Amino acid sequence: MQSFPDSLADLKSQGHTLIGCFPLYPPLELLHSFGLSPVVLWGLRQDITHLTRSDRHLQPYACGVARSLSEFVLSRGRELLDAIFMYNACDTLRNLPEILESSLDRHGASIPLFRLHIPAVPLSRPFASDYLNERIRDLIGELEKFTGRSFSAQTFLNSTELYNRQRRLSRDLERLAETGRIRFADCSDILLSAGRMSLDDHISILERTVREFNGRAPGHQGVRIMLSGILPPPVALLDAIERTGLTVVANDIAALRRSYDYLPAASADPGAYYRDLYRNHYPCTTILPSADSRLETIMQTVRESGVQGFIFVGEKFCEYEYFEIPAVKRMIEAEGVRTLELEIGMDDALNLDAYQTRIEAFAEMLCHETRGSRRDNDAV
Amino acid sequence: MMPSEKTQGAFKKNTSGKRLSTMIMNDYLDLHRRASEGAFVVWIAIIVPAELFGGFENVVYAVPESHAALCAGKGTGPVLCEKAEGFGYSTDLCSYARIDIGTAFDGGRDSPTFGLPRPDLLISNTNNCSLLVKWFDVYHRAWGVPHLALDIPFCYENQKERDFRYIMDQFGTLISTIEEMSGQRFDLDRARESVQLSSEAFKEWKRFLSFAAHRPSGITAFDSFVQMAPILTSRGTRRLVDHYRLLADETAEQVKNGIFPVPDERYRLLWDNIAPWHQLRKMSGRLAGLGANITSASYTYCIGALEGEYDPYEFDGNDPLAWLARLQNFSVCPHGLNLRGKAMNEVIGRNAIDGVVFASNRSCKVYSLMQMDQMRYIREELGIPCVMIDVDHADVRKYSEETAFTRLEALLEMIGA
Repeated sequence: MQSFPDSLADLKSQGHTLIGCFPLYPPLELLHSFGLSPVVLWGLRQDITHLTRSDRHLQPYACGVARSLSEFVLSRGRELLDAIFMYNACDTLRNLPEILESSLDRHGASIPLFRLHIPAVPLSRPFASDYLNERIRDLIGELEKFTGRSFSAQTFLNSTELYNRQRRLSRDLERLAETGRIRFADCSDILLSAGRMSLDDHISILERTVREFNGRAPGHQGVRIMLSGILPPPVALLDAIERTGLTVVANDIAALRRSYDYLPAASADPGAYYRDLYRNHYPCTTILPSADSRLETIMQTVRESGVQGFIFVGEKFCEYEYFEIPAVKRMIEAEGVRTLELEIGMDDALNLDAYQTRIEAFAEMLCHETRGSRRDNDAV
Repeated sequence: MMPSEKTQGAFKKNTSGKRLSTMIMNDYLDLHRRASEGAFVVWIAIIVPAELFGGFENVVYAVPESHAALCAGKGTGPVLCEKAEGFGYSTDLCSYARIDIGTAFDGGRDSPTFGLPRPDLLISNTNNCSLLVKWFDVYHRAWGVPHLALDIPFCYENQKERDFRYIMDQFGTLISTIEEMSGQRFDLDRARESVQLSSEAFKEWKRFLSFAAHRPSGITAFDSFVQMAPILTSRGTRRLVDHYRLLADETAEQVKNGIFPVPDERYRLLWDNIAPWHQLRKMSGRLAGLGANITSASYTYCIGALEGEYDPYEFDGNDPLAWLARLQNFSVCPHGLNLRGKAMNEVIGRNAIDGVVFASNRSCKVYSLMQMDQMRYIREELGIPCVMIDVDHADVRKYSEETAFTRLEALLEMIGA
C-alpha cells in the first residue's frame, strides 16, 4: 500500500484541497461541504518512523498519535495540506496548535488553522447545545472566508448523506469480518484507508469489497475476541491474532467502530446535525459525557457477540484510555471473559515479537479453555 | 556544600509557617467533622470555584489534587501510588490521581489526613486538564456518586464573550444541582462575600510574591508552593485573607531587617510547572548552597490573575459569578503558549530573573507539552538562559536528583558565563 504522504500527494495532484484534521471525530461533513477533502491525521505510525522535527517540540511522553501527527505536519504539511483543523479531543491535542503554528511560521511555512470547541458536557443541556451551534456558525464563517464559497444547506445535506453511506458500508464490512468472510486485518486496512483517499473513492472500495465478500461462505470461526483501543494493533499483530486461532468478532477501536457506528439523521442544518452526532456518538473515552454509556455498550457487545477474550490495545500515554481500563476489565472479567492488555508505544512498531508471544500465550489459554468447555458440554 | 541554617530560613517554623500548619490541620479536621455532622460534601478539582459553596448554609468541599500534593510532601506518595497501581491503574497516569485513588480505595490509610470524607457530589472540570473528569469518573462508578463536570474552553487568546456566557450557564447548573441534592438554598449575597474575601486574599498573595523582586529575594518559590495550600482549603474565608496579610507583613518585616532565605543569592531563577512536592526542602537547600534561589514560579504567580497576566483581577463588588467565570482560565494549563509567554516575560522583567527552570513533568502533560517551545521563546527572544529537567510532581520514583542537578548546575554555569 502507498504511504500516507504519497497518498496525499496523489490527491493533491488530482486537485483536491486537503484539510488535515486532528483526530478523533472532526466535523468531516461540514468541511466536505465546502469542497475540502478532510483527512484525519492518525494511524501514521508505520509511515512516520523518524521524529526528528516533532522531538524538538514534544517530550517523549506525548502519545504516538500526537508525535507522528506533529512530525507529519512539520515535515510535509506545507507541501501536502491546504489547511489544518483541530478540536478539543484531548489535552495533548489541544496543546498542539500553537506549537505547530509557531514552528511553521518560523520556517515561513504557515498553514491556515481552524479550531472548534465541542462541549464536554451533555448536549442535552440547552446552553451546551446553543454553544455548539454558535461555534459551528463561527466555523462556517471562517470556512466561507477561506474557501470563498458560501455555505449551502443542500450541499451540506449531500455531504451528510455521503458520510452516512460510508458509515453504513463500514458497518457492513465489519460484519463480514465477524462472520469470517473477510480477515479482520484486511477489513481494518480498508476501513483505515478512508484517511488516504477521497470520500467517493473510499465509498467505491467499500461497495466493491462488501459486494465481493458478501457472496462468500462464512469462514472458520476461531475463539471469539473483541479489541479495544484508539487504533487497531499493527498488521503483524492482527496477523498473529488470526494465526493463533482467534477471530475478532467485535471492536471498540476509536479509528474503527467508534468512528462509524452511530448514523446521525442526514440534515441540512449543521447545528442540528452535530448536536445529534456528538450527543449520540458511539461512546469513547475522549467523549467525556459518554462515560456511563461506554461501559454498558461494551458489556452489551461482549454479550451479544459471544466474546470469550478481550484485548486492550493500549496507546502508550493515552490517559483517557488508561483511566477506564481497570473498570472495563473488572466488568468483563466478572462475566468470565479473559483479558489481555497490550501497550503500544511509538518505538514498538518495529519490535513486535514480545507482543506476538503474549498473543500466542493468550490464544493458547483461550483455545485450551474452549476445548475444555466443549468436552464438558459433550459429557453432559 | 550543605546549606547553612541561615539559608534554610524559608523552612524554619516561623510564625507564618506554624500558622500555616495549624490552619491546614484545622481545615482537614473541620472538613471531617462537618462531614460527619451531616454537611453536604463535594469533591472538586482545584479550579472549580469553591467560593460558590460559601453561598450555601452547609456545604463543605475537599480537593483531591491538594490532598495528593500534601501526601507527596509528607512522603507517602509512592506507597499510595503503588496501591493504585495494584488496583490496575497505569504508572503513566498522573501521580496525583494515583495517590488519590490509592487513598480512596484503601480507606484513607497512609494519608496524613486519613483521606477525605466520602462525597455526596463530584465536581470536576476540563480547564486544568480534562483527565480530571476521567479521574472523578472512577469514583462515580465505584460509589455511584453523581458527577458533574464543568467544561471550560481553552484560551489561545483571552477568554471570549461566548465562552464566558457558556461558563456562566454551567455555574447555574452547578448551583441548581447542589440545591436539589442538598436541599439548601443558594444565597448570592453570601457567595459575593466569599468572592470579596478571595479577591482580597489574592491581593495579599500578590503582595507576598512581590518580595521576589527584592535583591536578594525576600522569598523563594518553595515558600509560595507551601503557602498556596490554604487557597485550596480555605478559599473565600476571612482566615485566608488574614493569613496572607500576616504572611506578607511578616515577609516585609524580614526584608526590612535584612533576613533573606538565600542571603548570598547570585542566581535568581524562575520555575515553570507544578511544584516537586517531594523535593521542596532538598532542592531549595541544595540550590541555596550554590547561591541560587528559585524566586518565582508560574504555578503560583498565576493565582488570582487573568490568563496571561500577573496582577490580581480584582472583584468589583457586583456579580460574584461573573468574577469567578472570568477567572476560570487563570491557572497556566488552560491557556496557550502566547499567553503563557506574556506572563512569564512580565515576571522575568519584574523579578530580574537570570534563568528559567522548565520542569518537564510527565504527570502533567497539559503544563509540560508546550515547554520546549516556551523555552525556545525565552532563550531566543528574551536572551534568558534556560534548562529543562525531568520531574514528577508527586511520584518521587520518577525523579533523579543527580540528573536534575547536573542540569541545574549547567544552567548556573551558563548564567555565570
